[in-house]
Amino acid sequence: MQLAVNIAVLTAIYALIACGYVLVYRVSRVLNLAHGELMMLSAYLLLVTASQFGSHWAVAIATALGLSGLVGVLVYLFLMRKMTGEMVLAAVLTTVALGILLRGATVLIWSAQQHYPVQRLNITNFAIALPGGARISLCAALLVATMILVYSSLFAFLRLGRWGVRMRAAGQRPLLAAQRGINLHIIYAMAWGLSTLIGAMAGMLIAMDQGLDQTMATIGLKAFPAALVGGLDSLLGALVGALIVATAEILLIHYVDPLLSEVVPFAVLIAVLVVWPWGLFGTREELDRV
Amino acid sequence: MLRKLAAGAAVAALIHCPASAQDAYTIGLTGALTGPPASTYAPAVEALRVYLERVNAAGGVNGKKVNLILQDDSAEPGKAAANAKKLIAQDNVILLMNASLSSTYAPVVAEAKRAGVPVLFASSVCPKDVYPPADPLEFCTTAFAANYDSRATLAFIKETAKEPVKIGFSAMAIPLSRGEMDFAESQAPGLGMTVVDKEVIPPPTPDYTPFATKLKDAGANWVFSWAPWVTQVRTLEALRRLGWRGEYVAWSHIEAEGELARLKDGRFYVIGANALFQDELPIHKEIAGAAKQAGVPYPAQQMAEGWIAGMVVEAALKAAGWPASAEKLAAAMANLTVDTKGLRGGPIAWTKDNHFRTRQYYRVYAWDEAKSAIVRVKDWTAFDVK
Amino acid sequence: MSRQPRASGHFRIGYAEDLKLIQTPLERWALAALLVVLGGLPFLASPFLLDLANQVFLASIGSLALMLLTGYAGQVSLGHAGLLAAGAFTVGILAKELGAPFWITLPAAALVGSLLGLLFGLPSLRLRGLYLAVSTLALHFLVVYCGGEYEARRGLSTGIVIDPPSIGGHAVTSARAWYFVLGLAATGTLLLSLNLLRSGTGRAWAAIRANETVAEALGIGVAAHKLLAFVLSSLITAVAGALFGYYRGFVSVEAFSLFLSIQYVAMIIIGGMGSLLGALLGALFVTLFPYGIEAALGALPGAQRYAGALFAVNYTAFGLVMILFLVLEPFGLVGIWRRIETYFVLWPFKYRPLAGRPR
Repeated sequence: MQLAVNIAVLTAIYALIACGYVLVYRVSRVLNLAHGELMMLSAYLLLVTASQFGSHWAVAIATALGLSGLVGVLVYLFLMRKMTGEMVLAAVLTTVALGILLRGATVLIWSAQQHYPVQRLNITNFAIALPGGARISLCAALLVATMILVYSSLFAFLRLGRWGVRMRAAGQRPLLAAQRGINLHIIYAMAWGLSTLIGAMAGMLIAMDQGLDQTMATIGLKAFPAALVGGLDSLLGALVGALIVATAEILLIHYVDPLLSEVVPFAVLIAVLVVWPWGLFGTREELDRV
Repeated sequence: MLRKLAAGAAVAALIHCPASAQDAYTIGLTGALTGPPASTYAPAVEALRVYLERVNAAGGVNGKKVNLILQDDSAEPGKAAANAKKLIAQDNVILLMNASLSSTYAPVVAEAKRAGVPVLFASSVCPKDVYPPADPLEFCTTAFAANYDSRATLAFIKETAKEPVKIGFSAMAIPLSRGEMDFAESQAPGLGMTVVDKEVIPPPTPDYTPFATKLKDAGANWVFSWAPWVTQVRTLEALRRLGWRGEYVAWSHIEAEGELARLKDGRFYVIGANALFQDELPIHKEIAGAAKQAGVPYPAQQMAEGWIAGMVVEAALKAAGWPASAEKLAAAMANLTVDTKGLRGGPIAWTKDNHFRTRQYYRVYAWDEAKSAIVRVKDWTAFDVK
Repeated sequence: MSRQPRASGHFRIGYAEDLKLIQTPLERWALAALLVVLGGLPFLASPFLLDLANQVFLASIGSLALMLLTGYAGQVSLGHAGLLAAGAFTVGILAKELGAPFWITLPAAALVGSLLGLLFGLPSLRLRGLYLAVSTLALHFLVVYCGGEYEARRGLSTGIVIDPPSIGGHAVTSARAWYFVLGLAATGTLLLSLNLLRSGTGRAWAAIRANETVAEALGIGVAAHKLLAFVLSSLITAVAGALFGYYRGFVSVEAFSLFLSIQYVAMIIIGGMGSLLGALLGALFVTLFPYGIEAALGALPGAQRYAGALFAVNYTAFGLVMILFLVLEPFGLVGIWRRIETYFVLWPFKYRPLAGRPR
């Protein structure tokens, strides 16, 4: 039973992070390799707002989330917008460079030491007993709940929402969408904002559950295979990919060797990509047209 | 061709480095001042810097100032090698200090040996070469020491445990930590303990619960972790969240004191060789005062390790006299006893073939839930180093 | 790659001339001057500067290899540090376990490198672009995992120490000796790359990079050439890793982080994609950059106080410079170089004529 809970929590972590990769990739075909760093930045922002509004944890979290979304939009407006139309590789490397910059900047501002946002927020991260003798911590439970909430609202938004439909259109045929009067820059900025916002939720909850330091950025990279296994432009794929990778990882930790947990996500990734080059649910991209 | 120009420019930029002061002792340090593992090393280096600044303000050693050159290697071996090369070849240091991850030892020691400069490991774990029979050029002041730590911990567990011990281990997936936990695993059965599980946890782990689940399910009633602080404490927290009620022993890194107070866990012990600040020795007040005066960004509790290194460096330079050379300093260090004023259980004593210390003392602290304070669970226990 | 005129009034007639490496007298003199400077440097510079130069040579070998793969054949790789590690570990393990001398370990490293290259070139037959980049990332994790396991199982927690190689009974230890060894290795790699690129292989790679379908239609064996690119690049990289191991005298997994891969990618980006000169310039820039920052910080008053922030400043500045290059100068250092060159070639005019461009 505890095993199932562990799988659910890890799936939630991977799915929430992978969702950020997918949102940006889906609309702009850019892989945001700074996602982990943006996530870490959001967690540090929570640290700041927590000491500002220490007594009202809801205010602190909401402010930090708002700021994170804003950061995402600003990243697009001031950086990625300049890279539209450039080589995809160049755009991806720009995000890598942004990631390096953010890592340096966070150490400069907050030092490399461990931080515990939960303490500053005056929340106790108590454990909840579940049937079957399993237990889950409050923040981990919130992670799972957030994942369900985020995915269901995203599915609804992209299918029914006016802006959601525009977003899908921009992702499918940018040129046609632009000609139909959709402002691509607003769509892209929105995708970046949303992606960072969702990454921020994951980052903050992980930081509240486990503590916050520089390794947070690497967790972003670990969630990356999940996004690819499912297919980089499919939300459903991200969810399924997260489930597959998390299950494989937890089972291997439990039954084989914990050290494998570092290699496993990538091994799963290779295995899947060899069979389905565009991931399980990804759309085949026509790169070879003459 | 542009390459030539750029190389020329680089040469020009690097050649006019300030010549080291001729009337001062020049010593150099390469350390993980920044980078991921910096939180263990940077406070110690900062303490060392503050200590030597105070020494200089008080007139220096043998009437000469001590010029400490800090080089950051961010725990990267390649950078550490370049730093060591620069400190030796360009700054002509007579002592090279290392405060970084174990992966930086090999290149630093290789450079130092080539130049005959003594190496002092301060705040980085002591390599095997400083134990008897010691390498003539390697010395160590650091509290934690491979193998002895495990012996002391297991002895403590055996003494404290009321029921038969079913022990689990938790290591970080770095060679040093894994090696130590392997050693502890091999020693435990000899003390009548049952080894139930050993988890090796990769450093970037989003969730420690799966590893904790295994430790709990294996039925451990004691868990021992000798790893960087993150792994030690996150494993514990994950175990507690799973409702595990066993006892947990971890190495008392410099963060320990603050963390004991944060966790308020009565069954969490930290074992170490440094006296915690809650003992309120006169030397502790002195360090706290100096830290405050210098505006150090780290809590004073984290500075004992670097302070000890400072005391040892001062004593070594004093013994080497003036003018000192690397050779004279190494000779002086091979026969040196430094009083640690209570920061350790006893003096740091180096002999010709023991560059660690002749006796290593351990103390165990824990949080007392009734008193709501950190208490000493076990006072200094000495282990002869042979 | 459209070739620029190399000097005013110099026109190439016929293909043979187009393929020549040295075409104008100026180039000949500049090359001679460069050789004199490079040859004289070890007798003038301090050991620290020589160490820097050696690092640049090592980085150049690696960046040339990556440039062949990414800049010419168009195959993205993020597994470069893994390949360096593979080479270094081959040397480390062979030297440690068997006491093998360098003339066995270096070819062994090359063999391991080419096998890994073949293995990880295979996904490239099915995967494109980003998906491919990520599958090469897996290579990195795999190699580092194996290396770490070896270190841990053998109890070599502080890394594997390697004895310096000895040539004719002489151990290569001094920075000056290494300068020549690594300098020759880098020059050899450069010549190999130059020759590859002006042969059929190089043209096939360029065609594949431009458009795979068209290349296939032209009768170029796309699969074979892609694999060749992976194998050659990995081979050179593994040898560079092996040399790194010998040069530093030790091998440990911590020296081959993912950041190293990113640094190599940064070298070819900052240097300028699709140019060997770019690979060299990038290697020079990226290797010396942190030392430049350090020198700049050291020049500030109260330098010791900033020592603790060095890594962070370095990281931040490195990220910033990379962004600036990507946004403002997509052609990299070599783009700036070419602009200066063009300025002199066209002087006193500013722009090349639109019609009838000289080839």
